[in-house]
Amino acid sequence: MPTFNDFLILLPEAYLTVAACVILLMDAFLKGGQRVAIHWLSIIVLLVGAWLVIDGQPATAVSGFSGMFIRDPVAEILKVFSLLTTALMFIYSRGYLRDRNINEGEYYALTLFAVIGIMVLVSAGSLVTVYLGLELLTLSSYALVALNRDSKLSSEAAIKYFVLGALASGMLLYGMSMIYGATHSLDLATILHVQNVEWRNLMLFGVVFAIVGIGFKLGAAPFHMWIPDVYQGAPTAVTIFIGTAQKIAAFGMAYRLLDSGLGAYAHEWRMMLAVLAVLSLAIGNLLAIVQTNLKRLLAYSTISHMGFLLLGLVEANPAGYSAAMFYAISYALTSAAAFGIILAMSRAGFECEEIDDFKGLNQRSPWFAFLMMLVMFSLAGVPPLFGFFGKLLVLQSAIDAGFLWLAVVGAVFAIIGLYYYLRVVKVMYFDAPVEGTDVRAQPDMPLRFVLSLNALALLALGIAWGPLFAWCQRAFGITA
Amino acid sequence: MDLSLSVLITIALAPLVGALLAGLFGRVIGRVGSHCVTILGVGIACALSIHVLWQLVSGDAKNFNQDVYTWFQAGNLHVSVGFMVDRLTAMMMVVVTFVSLLVHVYTIGYMADDPGYQRFFSYISLFTFSMLMLVMSNNFMQLFFGWEAVGLVSYLLIGFWYKKPTAIYANLKAFVVNRVGDFGFLLGIAAVLYFLNTLDYATAFDSAGALTGRAITVVGGHAWPAATVIGVLLFIGAMGKSAQVPLHVWLPDSMEGPTPISALIHAATMVTAGIFMVARMSPLFEMSEGALSFILVIGATTALFTGLIGIVQNDIKRVIAYSTLSQLGYMTVALGVSAYSGAVFHLMTHAFFKALLFLGAGSVIIGMHHEQDMRYMGGLRKYMPVTWITMWIGSLALAGTPFFAGFYSKDAIIEAVGESHRWGAGYAYFCVMAGVFVTSLYSFRLLYMTFHGAERFTVVGHHGHGHAAHGHAAVVGGQSIHSDPGHDAHGHDAADEHKEDSHHTPGELEHAPSESPWVVTVPLILLAIPSLLIGFFTVGPMLYGGWFGKAIHVEEQNNVLGELARDFHGATAAALHGFIQLPFLLALAGFIVATVIYLFKPALADSIKRALHPIWRVLDKKYWVDEVYFAIFAKGGVKLGRAFWRGGDAAVIDGVLIDGSASLVERIASGGRRLQSGFLYHYAFAMILGLILLLGGYWLVGQG
Amino acid sequence: MNPQLIQLIMFYAFGAVAVGAALAVITLRNSVHAVLSLVLTFFSVACIWLLAEAEFLAIALIVVYVGAVMVLFLFVVMMLDIKMEQVREGFARYLPVGIIVALVMLAEMIGMIGVRAMGLHVMGEDPAAAAGLSNTAWLGHALYTQFLLPFEIAAIILTVGIVAAVALTLRHRGGVRHQSAAEQVAVDPRTRMRIVKMASETMPTETVPPVAPSQETSP
Repeated sequence: MPTFNDFLILLPEAYLTVAACVILLMDAFLKGGQRVAIHWLSIIVLLVGAWLVIDGQPATAVSGFSGMFIRDPVAEILKVFSLLTTALMFIYSRGYLRDRNINEGEYYALTLFAVIGIMVLVSAGSLVTVYLGLELLTLSSYALVALNRDSKLSSEAAIKYFVLGALASGMLLYGMSMIYGATHSLDLATILHVQNVEWRNLMLFGVVFAIVGIGFKLGAAPFHMWIPDVYQGAPTAVTIFIGTAQKIAAFGMAYRLLDSGLGAYAHEWRMMLAVLAVLSLAIGNLLAIVQTNLKRLLAYSTISHMGFLLLGLVEANPAGYSAAMFYAISYALTSAAAFGIILAMSRAGFECEEIDDFKGLNQRSPWFAFLMMLVMFSLAGVPPLFGFFGKLLVLQSAIDAGFLWLAVVGAVFAIIGLYYYLRVVKVMYFDAPVEGTDVRAQPDMPLRFVLSLNALALLALGIAWGPLFAWCQRAFGITA
Repeated sequence: MDLSLSVLITIALAPLVGALLAGLFGRVIGRVGSHCVTILGVGIACALSIHVLWQLVSGDAKNFNQDVYTWFQAGNLHVSVGFMVDRLTAMMMVVVTFVSLLVHVYTIGYMADDPGYQRFFSYISLFTFSMLMLVMSNNFMQLFFGWEAVGLVSYLLIGFWYKKPTAIYANLKAFVVNRVGDFGFLLGIAAVLYFLNTLDYATAFDSAGALTGRAITVVGGHAWPAATVIGVLLFIGAMGKSAQVPLHVWLPDSMEGPTPISALIHAATMVTAGIFMVARMSPLFEMSEGALSFILVIGATTALFTGLIGIVQNDIKRVIAYSTLSQLGYMTVALGVSAYSGAVFHLMTHAFFKALLFLGAGSVIIGMHHEQDMRYMGGLRKYMPVTWITMWIGSLALAGTPFFAGFYSKDAIIEAVGESHRWGAGYAYFCVMAGVFVTSLYSFRLLYMTFHGAERFTVVGHHGHGHAAHGHAAVVGGQSIHSDPGHDAHGHDAADEHKEDSHHTPGELEHAPSESPWVVTVPLILLAIPSLLIGFFTVGPMLYGGWFGKAIHVEEQNNVLGELARDFHGATAAALHGFIQLPFLLALAGFIVATVIYLFKPALADSIKRALHPIWRVLDKKYWVDEVYFAIFAKGGVKLGRAFWRGGDAAVIDGVLIDGSASLVERIASGGRRLQSGFLYHYAFAMILGLILLLGGYWLVGQG
Repeated sequence: MNPQLIQLIMFYAFGAVAVGAALAVITLRNSVHAVLSLVLTFFSVACIWLLAEAEFLAIALIVVYVGAVMVLFLFVVMMLDIKMEQVREGFARYLPVGIIVALVMLAEMIGMIGVRAMGLHVMGEDPAAAAGLSNTAWLGHALYTQFLLPFEIAAIILTVGIVAAVALTLRHRGGVRHQSAAEQVAVDPRTRMRIVKMASETMPTETVPPVAPSQETSP
């Protein structure tokens, strides 16, 4: 029987659900100029949500609803950063939505629902909550991708995302049914401790399917095919969500399923993840080089970054998980800034997403060119930026896991990757602007201010990354 | 009372805060706001630095050495941010912040019309912060970051006028040359870590003795003593930063940057970072005679041969730049004979008088409406009396006139070299001795060509005050005026294009020169005071009194300054004694030669030049070092030269990267791109194939 | 006859129909027929569930899927008038590849798991029977106690579904005339009719002199 305590554990999620409904209603009743309230309210809702997550955090892991929902430090960190990056995205997106006539109310409400999905997913203690959290997240995302109804690309991307997502989700569900068949339990903690050699192959069969689901969500090759099309086709205000909070969620899902549930099969799935990692690194980095569209380039860059994230997971111990989590956070914050700059540069009737659009940016907006340079350097992993330490840590953990060859592959592709990030920097600083264009940042002060903070944080966190990493380590029970 | 950590942190961060405010909100707070916040930040740092120095000198406080923040810990590699403050550091902090403060004030006048005003203030404050982090560091890693940071700001500032192709070229040159040095430096740090297992100064210095007897085989079977390898590698870093031969080529070109920068970064502080570093690492360098001899020879070569080039330069800033190179050579020589205190002492006095000379040159340039060519100057003493007098003080100090600051430091170095028996000391002694004559010659040549003699410019504007037309076809200074079109591009220190436009005819001014505003002259006067006096008051304790304590470590048998100390009987006696010494006589000879040639018989210069044409040509071409570099480091110097001129754009990035290994990558990539067909069923098929792959992998190999 | 045997026969019969109908869904050329085959599949599955004593699920499947979802589906398919020939172009071309992939998959599955009867005992006793409740009552208990959280999340998912559907289809186009019942009901006579008082009509005058424009210019 669920008790009051169960609901108390669920407070941030319950609060967000109510808030999302309120915003939905406000959207229906507010008119014209009042609607700006929805924007600011949504941001406040997220920040209060983050505060609730931190404030109500119990000292040790607690679970509710018969173990279906777990509130532990890992979930806490993942939730806080999902909420924060989503808040960033709301700030960046306002002008974009207005200029493109996308209904703001539904955008905010659907995103909030998706965030609830993320929170359920990263707190999941049972296969059912994993699946439902995932569905809540992806269903909202499909709708978000299709939200720009005037764009054919957007609709096409949504259909692709939907069909492939459904396929992946079907495979995941199939795998879960195998796992349930082998262990007779939906509860991840129980699954972890079931010792049955008899159904070992059945279990492994389920593990493979579960990894397909995780791989799809992460966007790891060969389950990455949707990423470039969706990144490019989706409204940038939505792409940023897929590129930030969803990656944090994907890490959470991988951790819950693979470690909390299938930890006993780590020896097997590590190998599979290593294969996915190599494929992702290769495909992501090599194909990024030939892209001319910045959103597509970032899409391939995502694929390669997920390859790096997997390097952390292959260690399959707390040290590796904390490195991978750190990586997911660093990637989410960096990618938020990257898409934020694209959003800031776009305006009505003009999507600033071709690399050529950034030509000579330094002459027009030196400050934004500088921010973009920070972002690119962080993505490329140039010290002392945030991204560098993420890469360093996951490479370290791959070596510790005995996957030296994998770390070498990672390092080689990191260097190849440097090339296309530097190309963007080169275009901004050394090329002349394309005649007849006028690419400038929107005069939206909150956006400019927060975006600057976001990009400078990449530098600040690169210099002072210790506390954040210590926080990640503590979450996995490592006391330095 | 011990030094407080919060005071030290404030010293370091106050300029950073100023830089950030001016850089990020420059447009909001405006010009006045920008220079106020940065000057306030540096002012606080300067005041607190003086306080810290006072505490240390008065014996109130012990040396400070503490980690502030642990950056990361990987294995036994502990990287942290920390401060080590002893008298050496404190002295550097005062010099850096004091000169920086005056340069900030001076910049208000110098950059008054520049559109990048706020950016400039932001950069110089950022530089101050980086330099403070460099000198206050207590470990090699932070040193390296400070090292790179000052380098970065230096590049930013050399290329401050980024629309000027020569500035971009100089910028790139500084970058490339410094990379060579930094590479050595990084290897040196790696060697320290390898042999001593730590990056912390205190620990490394304590265990320096462990280096004895250890060796490393670098190339071809010959084992090198570890201490020599470390010393030479670290010194290669210093060679880049402190512009020692053969990595000196970037410093003269760096004069393309605005003059306040030349004073602050390329004369007083950043370029002395290498000297400071070697002094700081004295316990390591003391372990190796070989490394010190290497330093000695390099320094001596720099001291003499770059000074010689200074004699034939016509750009007022370049003369001072070559003089800086030469003085850096003196400091390096002092390091080479283990007279670290002498080097640091010269570093300090040099910081004051060289900043004074640069700022004075800047003042002249303002007065001449951004004309830098001395052949179009002359007789300026009437128009700019303050600048004239302060420049004289600076030059006298530079030439080593007794009682002036430069005398004490330079004389000590020369005598220390004379005392030393290290390999190469004889050569060095000759170089520094000859250098005195050369220094004196170019210093007074500069003064005469600029402030004395006939006016070689015409005032053509509406403000003609009557004292204009003296004709501008005079042949002065060994070169005829109209034969050097290439020089014109270098010659302009113009802030923006319209100024350059106003100068199509060299030697023609729209307004008569006039004395610069008070924000320019006050720093000159404030710098003139220490240039005059600081040597007199500090020579005793600093050089001979063991003032630096344990900050500088000298082995007993190498202690040349200790030898000299026995003959030292006070600053006055030393100065009086100096009048009958060989260095002074040489300087006097230089003075007389300069006076005769440039003041009384200008025509003589030309005939001497003709007579000694081959030598003149060697010097004018700066020993063809640039040309040799181009020829060696790029097959066909022209190609690389052109690439450099074009800002490293298409040729370097596209040419090298794409035509190289990347083309292979690109071919693979475009093949892979075809897989991303856009068809949904292809995507789904890929997923299923992936699934089959994983399952199959299991089925075949995973059945364990 | 042995009731267990009857059950077994029924199971295989419904199973065979379900599989056959499912095959028909993907092979039939007429899309309306395909949808009807899908209805048949659902129906057969519902029957199998009935055999397993899962009455509630069986009824729900028929009511929700067959009754509502599939009928809607049928309407859509009929309205859209899909050209099946176009959709199926390439079917033959990709068929061999598809079959190969399917066979490999099958081989792997059999190779890994093998064909083994897990039997009912694997899943343990029927919890509903153990609790002495009917299947429906037990399901209700489980949903509102143990599975309350998933149940609520599912509710949110449905909300999202509605919001998404509205967001993607509702469109306020300008210039489209549509009826507003609320407005029609709320009509007030005063807003519809205005009584204007006019002077009684007089005989038309001969000519009206043009109005001088000076009125406009004077301030």
